[in-house]
Amino acid sequence: MKGIVFTEFFEMVEEEFGYEMVDTLVETTVLPSGGIYTAVGTYDYNEIISLVANLSQRTQIPVPALLRAYGKYLFKSFTRIYNRFLQSPSDAFTFLGSIHNYIHVEVQKLYPDAELPHFDIERVDDNTLIMNYYSKRKMADFAHGLIEGTLLHFSENATITQQAIKEDGSHVQFVIVK
Amino acid sequence: MEEVELLKRRVDRERKARLQAEAILETKALELYKANEQLSLLNQNLEQQVKQGIEELQESEKRHRELIESVQDIIYKISPSGYFLFVNSVVQERLGYSENELIGQHFSTLVVPEFRQELIAFYRQMIEEKQQSTYKDFPALKKNGEVVWIGQTVRIIEQAGQITELVAVARDVTELKTTEDALRTTQTRLTTLITNLQKGVLVEDEYRRIILVNQLFCDLFGIPAPPDTLKGLDCSQSAEQSKHLFKNPEQFVARIEDLLLKREIVVEEELEMVDGRILQRDYIPIFLEGHYRGHLWKYADITEKHLIREQIRKSEEKYRGIMNNMELGLLEVDNDQRIVRAYDRFCKLVGYTQEELIGKLAPELLITREFEEVLNNNQALRPKGTASSYEMQILKKDGTPIWVIISGAPIMDEHGKVTGSMGIHYDITDRKVLEHELALAKQIAEDARQAEKQFLANMSHEIRTPLNAIIGMTHLLFDTRPTKQQFEFLEILKTSADFLHSLISDLLDMAKIEAGRIEVQNHPFDLVGLLRTTQRVFQIKLQNRPVELDMMIDARISGMYSGDDLMLNQILLNLIGNAEKFTEEGTIEITVKLKKEEENTLWIEFKISDTGIGIPANKLDEIFQKFKQVNANNHKHKGTGLGLAITKQLIDLQGGSISVKSREGEGTTFTFMLPFQKSDLDVVPDTFEIQKVSSDLLGCKVLVAEDNLMNQKYISSLLNKWDIDFVIASDGKKAVEKAQKQAFDIILMDIQMPNMDGYEATITIRNTKNPNQHTPIVALTASAMLDQKSKTKLVGMDDFITKPFAPNQLLGILKRYIKISNTDSNPQTSSNYTTQLDHTRLQEMYGDDKSYAADMFQTFLSNVLLEFPAIQDLILQNDWESLSKLAHKLKPTLGMVGLTKLELQLLEIETTAKENPKEEQLQKLWDDAQNSLNAAIPILQKELVQLQEPTQ
Repeated sequence: MKGIVFTEFFEMVEEEFGYEMVDTLVETTVLPSGGIYTAVGTYDYNEIISLVANLSQRTQIPVPALLRAYGKYLFKSFTRIYNRFLQSPSDAFTFLGSIHNYIHVEVQKLYPDAELPHFDIERVDDNTLIMNYYSKRKMADFAHGLIEGTLLHFSENATITQQAIKEDGSHVQFVIVK
Repeated sequence: MEEVELLKRRVDRERKARLQAEAILETKALELYKANEQLSLLNQNLEQQVKQGIEELQESEKRHRELIESVQDIIYKISPSGYFLFVNSVVQERLGYSENELIGQHFSTLVVPEFRQELIAFYRQMIEEKQQSTYKDFPALKKNGEVVWIGQTVRIIEQAGQITELVAVARDVTELKTTEDALRTTQTRLTTLITNLQKGVLVEDEYRRIILVNQLFCDLFGIPAPPDTLKGLDCSQSAEQSKHLFKNPEQFVARIEDLLLKREIVVEEELEMVDGRILQRDYIPIFLEGHYRGHLWKYADITEKHLIREQIRKSEEKYRGIMNNMELGLLEVDNDQRIVRAYDRFCKLVGYTQEELIGKLAPELLITREFEEVLNNNQALRPKGTASSYEMQILKKDGTPIWVIISGAPIMDEHGKVTGSMGIHYDITDRKVLEHELALAKQIAEDARQAEKQFLANMSHEIRTPLNAIIGMTHLLFDTRPTKQQFEFLEILKTSADFLHSLISDLLDMAKIEAGRIEVQNHPFDLVGLLRTTQRVFQIKLQNRPVELDMMIDARISGMYSGDDLMLNQILLNLIGNAEKFTEEGTIEITVKLKKEEENTLWIEFKISDTGIGIPANKLDEIFQKFKQVNANNHKHKGTGLGLAITKQLIDLQGGSISVKSREGEGTTFTFMLPFQKSDLDVVPDTFEIQKVSSDLLGCKVLVAEDNLMNQKYISSLLNKWDIDFVIASDGKKAVEKAQKQAFDIILMDIQMPNMDGYEATITIRNTKNPNQHTPIVALTASAMLDQKSKTKLVGMDDFITKPFAPNQLLGILKRYIKISNTDSNPQTSSNYTTQLDHTRLQEMYGDDKSYAADMFQTFLSNVLLEFPAIQDLILQNDWESLSKLAHKLKPTLGMVGLTKLELQLLEIETTAKENPKEEQLQKLWDDAQNSLNAAIPILQKELVQLQEPTQ
């Protein structure tokens, strides 16, 4: 998992709950990295799962909600950091449609060790987009948040229906209707 | 405190994260550096590869281009729609177009228009069916308009299933095409030729199978099947099958086998067939590149040719035989006249042997210089291919000349080129001798005839002149109151002289007629008057004889007829005289009838029947022949024997006809028919009646030119008797002198006179200025020769009278000519101007209408006269046509004012300019005419003044 996911996660926790919560999570979660993250490094993804689970436990906020919230937050950070990826698409569906064939391709070039989920995208009509999410990481909620961030960024309203096709969450279908 | 700890931990974490990040960055930087190093190397490597690749590419492209450029074919690319995308430079050489000219053009513009549609369809189909490659040839147009045949292979180029372009390799196949065409044509031609050949042809292959056979072959060998069905059949037994057709069947078979074995060309072998036909056979083996591939049999039916050849051979033999036996010497020479061949007969003719002649120049050996030109003129015709015949002398070996007639003809070779000539010589020496003798005899005869003619002419003068005097004097003696005895003597004298006169006249007339010198005169006369006079003359003659003379004249015949009254009179005198001579008693009946009336001609039939002794039937055919007197021994009926011959001749001359019917002892009838024209003139008094002199003649003046004293006396007596004033001139010269001194009303001119004869005198009077320039001149001619009479007219005489003449003949002449000049109302003025103006004509034209005449004179003087100077201009310009026209135009105006002589001068200018223009001569004619004209102007002016005077 890329270091930015950890650094941004701590930013969000610090914003929402204060640095004490960040410190608590570092101190109380078993983290092989010792809780020291830099955006350019790469760390075991289990550490983020552990951190989220720890946060959920301490805040009584369910993990899926946290992941969704974090996804939404992270997209906002992305718009700041990776602004160049967001300039050409004119709307959310176009951007979402280009994720797998363009953004992930470019990410893979930059970070050959990155493990990225797989998306099948189906444009049903002008107002409907179906995204099939496949990942061993089973972080569909995180993806859900990112989609919400996207819509927010393009100032579009749409309902996002999330349905697990496989029970273990390794294949989840999003139906986005404007 | 808690907070400090928290911050410490946070800073510591941050520091550790930074170190971690720095370490990562350090590692990444190193990786980056290494990657950069590798990239740089890789880049270098790539550059090298790219450079090398480019070089290789360039090399390959260059090779391809060179390949394309070096091929002799046109290589081009076109778009599927047919536009040139690429063309190699060969196109310039092949079609004359540059590459740039073609790129972008549609390919069909290069195709000959008639082929465009077909070609476009062909390639459209290719594209539709996506055929990978096609070949097609077609005629293309070069830039200079020439047509070349192009054969091209076209390949389609596809990309992603779409045809992007077509690549073509095109080649000039004109030669191939031409050769192909020629080959095809030749093949067709040969096949057609063989099929239709008037010879039987059989072509077999090396296994003796039929390849080609034509109808005629089948006909010759009696094969019933059509030739096409025989193709491929085996011929090895055919000789055996056909041998029965030939006279020598075994030989026929053996020969064919022999020929097939030897495989050599054998032509024109002749074969006799059982049915009598002759065949000519050619055997031609066919070899292809040294290998025997079959053979051709050709059979021609030459039966006819054979027969003709036989005939020719026989006829040649025949003619050779004839030639050798004929007296014709044949000689062949080449174009240089060198002897090529001399036939036996020629050698015999000239006495040389063949060997002596061959190679020699014929003219040198055989011709004398004298005949060289004749030979050369004739030989010059040969190269033109012309034959000719001529006579000349050639020399024999011993030097004696012989005359030959030569028929020369060119000898031509088979191309029609003249290679020499052939002369056929026939010895005509004997004939030439005869000819020469004949010519000599002819000359003698001619001379004799000439002498005879001269003799006759002399007779005419020498006998007639004294005779004239005798007869004339006899007439005068009758007036001298002779005694009865003297009267009887005078009668005898007169009869004898008359007979002598008629005898000579007959002889001379016949001579004249035979010489063609008799001219039929045509003037008006009173036919009935003439007939009645004749009747009376004979009635007087027949007084006291038991012969009655009756004359019946058709009531339709009256008035004046135009014709030759003298001839008619002579004919009547002859025929009635004959009747009178041979009739002892009975009647002479003369019947005159109008037989036929044509447009201008009246045919009058005269019939003279007598009851005389008649003519034996067997003599009837002879009576019109000369010197054939039916009863020559009867002295009572003596004569020249010319009368009837002359009569017939005179009738023939006038276009008439005569026939005779007779029964011996019963009588004879002569019938003749003559043409006359009806004349409008009134009847004048009959000149055959004895006349009293009319008062008209009193006071007129006659010039008599006559050298013969007796004649002088005769004429003088007559003129004195008639009280006519006259002057005698004893020769021509004196006559001219007298004519120049004073004006006469008529001049009687003897022809044969000393010093100057009558012709010369007349010419002088007519052409010199004297008072008698236009006075009538009448010839007194003792010569009965009619050519002399015509000469009188030519020199300007008005008439003639033949001596001896009767008094009233002379009187008639005087009355005819003097009457005219006396018609002038004013004799005094008239005599002044007669010499310059033709008053006779003026009187005819204007009569008494003086004002009309004055108008004409006025017009002539003020208008017409101005046109004459143009004649001089035209002479200088040599414009003969215009001159002739102008003279023709001005001529009649001269007649209108009485300038008759000038009119004639202008006529001469007109005819000379038209027929034979010579400047010098015309100038002289004009000078004369101009002088006359200048002289005439004051006379015309004077005449005009007189005409304008009021009538008295």
